[in-house]
Amino acid sequence: MIELNFEHRQAGHCESGVTSNLLHYHKLDISEPIAFGIGAGLFFSYLPFLKMQHAPVTSFRVWPGMVFDRATKELGVQTKIHRFKKPEDSMKKLDEVLELGLPVGLQVGTFHLTFFPPEYRMHYNMHNMVVYGKKDNNYLISDTLMEHKVEITYDDLMRVRFAKGTFAPNGRMYYPTAVPTEVDLRPAIIKGIRKTANNMVGVPFPLIGTKGIRYLSRRLRKWPEKLGEEKASYYLGQVLRMEEEIGTAGAGFRFIYGAFLDEAGIILKQDWIREIAVEMGEAANHWRKFSYLGSRNCKKRAKPEESYDMLADMLMECADMEEKIFRKLAKIR
Amino acid sequence: MENSSENKNPVYKDQNYGQYREMLFTYDEKGNFQNSVGYHGEPDRVVLQQAWDLFAERIEEARKKVLAGKASPIMYYMEKILADPLSLSMMAGVSLISVKLHCKPFFFKHLGDKTLAKYAGAFNITVEQLKKFE
Repeated sequence: MIELNFEHRQAGHCESGVTSNLLHYHKLDISEPIAFGIGAGLFFSYLPFLKMQHAPVTSFRVWPGMVFDRATKELGVQTKIHRFKKPEDSMKKLDEVLELGLPVGLQVGTFHLTFFPPEYRMHYNMHNMVVYGKKDNNYLISDTLMEHKVEITYDDLMRVRFAKGTFAPNGRMYYPTAVPTEVDLRPAIIKGIRKTANNMVGVPFPLIGTKGIRYLSRRLRKWPEKLGEEKASYYLGQVLRMEEEIGTAGAGFRFIYGAFLDEAGIILKQDWIREIAVEMGEAANHWRKFSYLGSRNCKKRAKPEESYDMLADMLMECADMEEKIFRKLAKIR
Repeated sequence: MENSSENKNPVYKDQNYGQYREMLFTYDEKGNFQNSVGYHGEPDRVVLQQAWDLFAERIEEARKKVLAGKASPIMYYMEKILADPLSLSMMAGVSLISVKLHCKPFFFKHLGDKTLAKYAGAFNITVEQLKKFE
């Protein structure tokens, strides 16, 4: 039996929460928004050719694993990442690492996750959690989305680690091995902000960043006539589901990023970043309003003026706001 | 909540909303970002319910189709695990075009036990259950 003294802290986003908690165990204290910001977790992409749950994918985050990879790299933390072909190998390796006294982060699928709320158990393979111990046949789990620590059996854990489908985790496990105690956060934050700004406004591809939001807005306007009322409302629901579902901390990570900018302004001692944090908060509230009005459309309780046209306009406004924010942030030095 | 509930799996009675609280970030008028633990908002519940309604509808439709002999049990079980042909092909290790064909009764009848076992593994049922659809 192994039980590491791992402090469980609930977090808004699974991966940045896991990163922050793992580093906290190794005596490097960074908050969750800082981990998210340094990892450049904010993103937007609309992928009409990729279907998930019978509707096109809208993503508000970067690829799974990137936040941890980037954040630890920028902070000078040494990490190990493993992927496996055989499930048994992955469990053996997990036991070995736990024996060494290191908590391990895992990428898992949520469909068979036994402690997950049933209404959220859909095929989603980008969830992250920490294993910090083993008791008999049960593994001790700290899932940042849950209020308390939980347990999972050997078989169940093996199954969720080898969930199949898009973004299959393949038993991906990651853990920091050597962590510096004193880190200068400033260069890491600046790099993270620049990376995010580049992702949002600097990529010359129409489906990514603020261009992607505009593209989605133009498509959204045409959905009712092109797809029919029912399907249009389901497609809109998919956008909102990706925006508001658990693990985004609300409004598609915009709140958590605003909190990051606020903290970054204090650490960098640059007041203009805190002013931008205010703008980010307003943009986030606008996204929140969009999801609120959009959900009325999904429920078919919208007033006539709350049509798809209006929602599309709102998305355009969001895109404008964010473009302004990230054009300014791109100039950070 | 009290500390004694730590390290115990939460018990969910049914698939109802509001049995679980999560960390949420907000931005208030004073310009502060705050985080608090609470239930998700109305929009999330509506769109989640919408998705589950669609899944239930699709499962029911597939069941009727299978009973009418227009589709194979593979289609029903595929809908039941909320998969689409592409993800099922990844789960079972069968090519996408085969999955689409096997959803038709004619091709399903000629399936060997080896392929059926692959599907049964993905559906988490036995081959007999897959063959005998009630």
